Amino acid sequence: MKAKYINPFLAASMNLFKEHLGIEVRSLNPFVRKDPTTLEEVSGIIGLAGETTGAVVLSFSRTTAMNIVSVFSGRSYTALTNEVLDGVGELVNIIAGNAKKDLLDFRISISLPGVIVGPATRIHWPEGIPVITIPFDSNLGSLSVNVSLKEAE
Amino acid sequence: MNVLVIDDSAVMRRIHRNALTEHGIPDDSIFEASDGEAALKMSAERRMDLFLVDWNMPKLDGFQLVKKLRSVSHYAATPIIMITSEAAKYNVMEAINAGVTNYVVKPIKGDVLWQKLKKYIEPGAGGGA
Repeated sequence: MKAKYINPFLAASMNLFKEHLGIEVRSLNPFVRKDPTTLEEVSGIIGLAGETTGAVVLSFSRTTAMNIVSVFSGRSYTALTNEVLDGVGELVNIIAGNAKKDLLDFRISISLPGVIVGPATRIHWPEGIPVITIPFDSNLGSLSVNVSLKEAE
Repeated sequence: MNVLVIDDSAVMRRIHRNALTEHGIPDDSIFEASDGEAALKMSAERRMDLFLVDWNMPKLDGFQLVKKLRSVSHYAATPIIMITSEAAKYNVMEAINAGVTNYVVKPIKGDVLWQKLKKYIEPGAGGGA
């Protein structure tokens, strides 16, 4: 997948986590995820439709999810409540919605967010399209933004 | 002054509510709806003076909600602020054409949001304008 399709998600993630939430976060080298079912335990999912198809998945451990949603919402969480899951959905929604402004090849609509806890085998990735993982290290734990997007022909 | 906050995320509704109450808007004058249909019902039952509307919501999305509100005579000129993650230019243009008063892209800090909202708050309504 071309960098021009990945960079908007990297920029949107950095803007959200670093600039907006003030989390000490750094991006690591993106890679092709050979097995997209091997994500962390909490995953926020957005489907992309319109002039292309794809999906964006924000994935982290339970602890990191609680830590980051606590910063986002201004309320401290010590359990994976429905409100934490709601916050995870909103975070991936912001990443996908913000990334759209730099995805100039397509006119895209984004789905409502879904959040799963547990094995990522239930995520429906577009068939035959690689999943690119952008890993992040942060002071609140590691996370990843995973993108699969059909390129323009 | 009654403010209706419409967002399918409970976390976002609370963030918006906090931004309003921190600037003097009484908590009991802020109402919440989790989708456009609920917002239409609430705005028919009680006159609202300001709408904060998300775009992507179940049942009736913010874009459709804005068009429906604008077709109601007493909401034809009421401030409707769309607060959404949708940052593409074509989304902004669609929302403006549908009748939004202002368009704000999430994420946004409470103080910055207030700077965009305060001109729509009646003087003296909450002491923050």
